[in-house]
Amino acid sequence: MSKKKRFGISEALTRGLSETIHVVENNSGLFRNVILPLSRIELDPDNPRKLAIDLSDIRQGIRPEDTNYQRKQEELERLKELAHTIKSNGVINPVVVYKLGEFYRVVAGERRCLASILAGKQEIEARVFNEKPKGFELKLIQWVENTAREDLTLDERLGNIRDIIREYLIQNDNAEVTATLLKNITGLSLSQTSYYLAAMNAPADVQSEIRNGNIRNLDKAALIAGIASPLLRKQAIEACVNGYSLKEIKSIISQQKLLKKNKADLKTTNRGRQTVKINMGTTLSVEVIRKIIESVTSRKEFDKYMTIFTEVNWTDLRQTTKAFRQLIELMEREMAI
Amino acid sequence: MEIIAFVNNKGGVGKTTCSKLMAEYLSKIKNRRTLCIDFDPQCNFSHQYLNMEIDPAAPEGLMPPVHPDYDDTDPDDNDWDGRSSIAEIFYGQGVVPYPTYVPNLDIAPGHAEKLLSAESVRRSEVVEKVHKQLANFLNSPDVQAEYDAVVIDTAPSKGPLTISVMKASTHIIIPSVMEEQPVQGIYGMLQLWMQESLIREKNRPLTLVGILPNMFKQTRLHKDILTSLQDNAAIGKYVLPVKFSQRIVFAEVDAADSTPRSIFDYQDLHVAKSEAMEVCQHIAERIFA
Repeated sequence: MSKKKRFGISEALTRGLSETIHVVENNSGLFRNVILPLSRIELDPDNPRKLAIDLSDIRQGIRPEDTNYQRKQEELERLKELAHTIKSNGVINPVVVYKLGEFYRVVAGERRCLASILAGKQEIEARVFNEKPKGFELKLIQWVENTAREDLTLDERLGNIRDIIREYLIQNDNAEVTATLLKNITGLSLSQTSYYLAAMNAPADVQSEIRNGNIRNLDKAALIAGIASPLLRKQAIEACVNGYSLKEIKSIISQQKLLKKNKADLKTTNRGRQTVKINMGTTLSVEVIRKIIESVTSRKEFDKYMTIFTEVNWTDLRQTTKAFRQLIELMEREMAI
Repeated sequence: MEIIAFVNNKGGVGKTTCSKLMAEYLSKIKNRRTLCIDFDPQCNFSHQYLNMEIDPAAPEGLMPPVHPDYDDTDPDDNDWDGRSSIAEIFYGQGVVPYPTYVPNLDIAPGHAEKLLSAESVRRSEVVEKVHKQLANFLNSPDVQAEYDAVVIDTAPSKGPLTISVMKASTHIIIPSVMEEQPVQGIYGMLQLWMQESLIREKNRPLTLVGILPNMFKQTRLHKDILTSLQDNAAIGKYVLPVKFSQRIVFAEVDAADSTPRSIFDYQDLHVAKSEAMEVCQHIAERIFA
């Protein structure tokens, strides 16, 4: 007897049907993508990106008596480059706008709008929010759009984060702002968000250097912000301003700490078991060992041992270790006499 | 005014039959002033209520008959040839609905050639020339004042005509036979529903009333496929709890010389009538709640 046949719709079709339903249930009425006339677009004065150039400069030209003439001229040159690619390829990502009366306000995509006008376009593709996004969402959209860009200064990025946190706190009273919370809001990594928090809460001297644009790198800002000693911090800031790499600044800090530490560390406590012998510790630097051996054997009383160490291969950690132990043994024997 | 459309891009799933039953239920039983719209170039829906004529310009297609109100001696009708289809909306002309033998029921019939040419408008022009036209027409104060309900029968396609129906409707119903190919048609319509829902304003959503199992037979195939749709968490809640069975009488009343001409003219105990009442009542309650 044959088995009774069972029927059903295919797995792919089932998945397609349920995914489509979920999209509608979760997203309907949020936004729509349309082609907008550029003449209907206006910039958002609250946008965190402080572009000096505005619509009238693009449409009527920058007036020579403008106090920002130089800066605007530079921005115009950069916009022209973007306009050139827009002319040939169009705008790839739609800009984000919301409707305000007769006009559409740009949430994200100021430069794309301005450059499209420069490129002689009449329309631009836009994602239109049906209503003005709430403060927090608005900041978040601007933030997400902006993080993809590289031409924002650290100060502007920190300003964005501050805005996001402020809007978040308006909606969530007394929430404690931690790196984890910030990570959940922005989707950045935990290390990034802790750097941002460190830089935001940095001592005044660090903050002012960030504002001046002398500290432009988030990692460096967070590192320097963590230095407690004002003197050492000043030193690190100077190094940063002089273009030292993160690694170099780190080594300056650890060097200074070591100097301080060595002075303090000689005063040991008497806690624990009594110490009956000297522990030599370990090092990765064969050069240090070589230096010690060479310095000792160059002294008159030890120079007879110099030949023992001429055959040592100093790149081999094992041989170097053996040579050092041998030196200690020889010295113990020599000095016991 | 509620605008109800029956859509499925698979042909032969019963869009016209369902449209007809719904329109007659609303007009005959519920006394709602109802307008039928035939958006299918095949014009089957129109043919139910009007003696559609063969178009001499396109012999394979149908066109509406001369309107009963047309008077060639009236100077007002001078620049009108006396025929009016829903396709006039694509040509900037007025639509004059035809009365039908059913009380409270008018029809704006199809016009094969004109609908087909609207369907084949160039891509760049389609948004302005096709997509918005039906919504513009139905949103006009004249139409809104004249009718309580609009029932639209659509073409088995996902093209510009069906998209313009999606843009105009307040409610859609997806009739489907419980077989693989028609269920794929459901997917096509859900895609259009999704696209439209994403761009609609929140206060006027396009409501998916549900998937209506049609021409249902008590076979393992139909039962299993219905069960698999019902059992799916996402899809299940959109499968209507009512269905039309496969009945020859639904097709019989379509014949021009049939008596009675409507399922709703049968006795109350007639199995087809009570089924039609149950399905249409359920759908109407959801829409006019």
